[in-house]
Amino acid sequence: MRVAIIGYSQTKFEYDVEMTREEMVFKTAKDAIESAGLTREDIGTVISASTDFLDGRTISNCMLIGATGAYLKDETKAEEDGMYAVLYACQRILAGIHDVALVVAHTHSWIFNPHQVSVYMLDPLFDRQNDLLNDITLAALQAKAYMKRSNATEDDLALVSVKNLKNASNNPYALRKMPDATIEDVLNSKIYADPIRELMVAPPCDGAAAVVVASEDFAKKYCENPVWIEGIGNSCDAYLRDRDLSRLVSLEIASRKAYDMAGISDPYREIDVFEVTERFSHQELMIHEGLGICGDGRGANFIRMGITEFYGDCPVNPSGGALSGDAICATGLVRLIEVAKQIVGEAENQIDGVQRGLAHAQWGLCAQKNLVFILGGDYEA
Amino acid sequence: MRRNVAIIGCGQSKHGRRTDVSQCEMVAEAVWAAIEDAEISPEDIDAFAVGNMQGFGGIAQPDLVFTDFIAATGKPVQRVATGGTVGGSVAHLGYYEVASGMYDIVLAVSWEKHSDSAEPGATTGLLHVAFANLSYMMKMGMDMRSFAIMGLAGAAAGVSAYQAAQYMARSGCKIEHYDMVAAKARRNAAKNKYAHLKWPGCTADDIAKTEMIIWPMRFGHVCPASDGASCVIYASEEAVKRLKVERPVAWVKGLAAYADEEADQGESYQGTGVVDYSDQIGCIISAMKAYERAGIKDPRKEIDMAEIYAPFPHQELMFSERLGFFEDGKAWIAVEEGVTEIDGDFPICPSGGVNATNAIGSSAMQRVVECALQIMGKAEEHQVPKDVRNAVAHGWGGQLQFNTVMVLGDSPKRK
Repeated sequence: MRVAIIGYSQTKFEYDVEMTREEMVFKTAKDAIESAGLTREDIGTVISASTDFLDGRTISNCMLIGATGAYLKDETKAEEDGMYAVLYACQRILAGIHDVALVVAHTHSWIFNPHQVSVYMLDPLFDRQNDLLNDITLAALQAKAYMKRSNATEDDLALVSVKNLKNASNNPYALRKMPDATIEDVLNSKIYADPIRELMVAPPCDGAAAVVVASEDFAKKYCENPVWIEGIGNSCDAYLRDRDLSRLVSLEIASRKAYDMAGISDPYREIDVFEVTERFSHQELMIHEGLGICGDGRGANFIRMGITEFYGDCPVNPSGGALSGDAICATGLVRLIEVAKQIVGEAENQIDGVQRGLAHAQWGLCAQKNLVFILGGDYEA
Repeated sequence: MRRNVAIIGCGQSKHGRRTDVSQCEMVAEAVWAAIEDAEISPEDIDAFAVGNMQGFGGIAQPDLVFTDFIAATGKPVQRVATGGTVGGSVAHLGYYEVASGMYDIVLAVSWEKHSDSAEPGATTGLLHVAFANLSYMMKMGMDMRSFAIMGLAGAAAGVSAYQAAQYMARSGCKIEHYDMVAAKARRNAAKNKYAHLKWPGCTADDIAKTEMIIWPMRFGHVCPASDGASCVIYASEEAVKRLKVERPVAWVKGLAAYADEEADQGESYQGTGVVDYSDQIGCIISAMKAYERAGIKDPRKEIDMAEIYAPFPHQELMFSERLGFFEDGKAWIAVEEGVTEIDGDFPICPSGGVNATNAIGSSAMQRVVECALQIMGKAEEHQVPKDVRNAVAHGWGGQLQFNTVMVLGDSPKRK
């Protein structure tokens, strides 16, 4: 049995949004259900995604039961990226207990600065006490380690930002858009922690996204244009000091599992579009390697040669990626939505003839956890 | 197609004030106990389900810090968190991971370490639940009336006191019945080596002598803030055969977690807040659906015992009615008759329950563990003397609104 995505929606990513969390979640959930052509009564189970620290309150889902439409429904909350909630929704459907699931992911970054939250993700006994580490300084360490191992330079890191911020200029939902960005603009932006500059950091913002997923029988009966989930791979790496920061080993494991499930042997040729969660620009290059679409240490060649531009051979983040706006828990889910849009032909930077796409979400410091989804159109039927 | 799933091993850490271990070590204690109990090696585990209330122990996403401690490095890990129900939600997640056919053997662990936060228990207050909404009020100019309502609600004990009073009004029971339930919890806990508050031979009179904190709740009625971790290992029917498990295992027969509207605040800015906190429609529907999925028609007859999530004694009475074991408002009569004692006709919380041990994240998972132990016949001193063929593990949380129900049995058969 397969699971299909039959509806989706997202809000515009903004900072300091003039909307309560409840309003934003209600609007997104309602839009997603409507885009699937369903009503609340059709939904069997609701899974939200948010975290207590980012939301600045305990039991972050408890006041959203009305807003997500989960009232008197089988409900739960994944406390990580929304794509993990989609994974759980798939499991609930594959277990044969539910037919249709609504997934809603949301973060209002203005409530509690996510960079501050990253400090609370550190081991409290040593790493937190030394007062040197947070997600940005750790990203700087990771970028240095990666640059040392590979041939990537600061210019390559800047080029990733240039590409994504240009792509974002066509995306109506994006927060940071720079159609005329240059490498100099990025390198001259404020330095956070060498080599990480302001424009190399995904800007935390406020936003929500939702998808409706359904069982194969239901999707075939009620949906004209389902997007099928063909492969899923999930893996968690060790904590910071127990792993090689210059590699995304858990992404290697996760992507191979997803390729196996989808029957893919050559991801570079068989996948038409990639939407990945790069919280920092160097991570996009590391993700190329983790996904196995380029050789070890050669991530930078891809960006230099324009292969990952939306008109290139292997488009990565035609939507602008996380660098164009990062509503933490919604960011991965938006990647999934963007791939689904490419497959049904509704994307802003639409790529011709997309049959298969890959969506990636990460979680934890220095991308400790990685989740990969392979989506496909209805070409088999 | 829904696969049959069994619990093949359980583990608990010792619960109480655990300043002797770190959060990582405490969770590892339960995880390795479960791995040993299941007689498997860590390499056999395909995936993990984890969860706790991250604010209470002061680490955001603590499982990411200790993947090595629980043998999860390189494996799929999924995390859920839903308040008091989190243990139940993690148990459900682990079940679904196996039932979906995605993984064969899954380890589910949940925990809490209250003593790590600067003011143990303070974070469990409703003010922390409401904090972000206060920020919205300040930003967007919402009315101060909502603020006042939140302030009046008090912490978990405060809001439960309203519920206790509402339950008394609807059932006609007296505070003395609450004393009896609390005394039973302390007495049973004395037989459970993992429990926190133990009081061998505690009587209702002993509890009645404790101070009245907020009517109708006495000090002796209130649960402790414990540290602890609980863990179960699930295996698919094929994996049970492949591992050649000969000893009794506990099969998951049905489960559900239907959410209700939050108990307060709804009135002022969300529309439909629950007025009578002792209604618990979410629990009634969760039980109905779980029984339907388990093929159980008459819960009182077909189920042999239950572990109910009751931090406060009125909740044991109330939820035992909502779960269909007694008629609405009649559970206190069963307590008077001794039906719910360990050696009674329908034992409830023979482990001492949440009233004696409450490490939030661990609590609802511990209900699942205790039911599994009773079915496997491994509950040692607090093993109920009757045959346990079906048992119900219940979890409760949110703002009086979340319920998790899991029906466990000694055979995979569903009618």
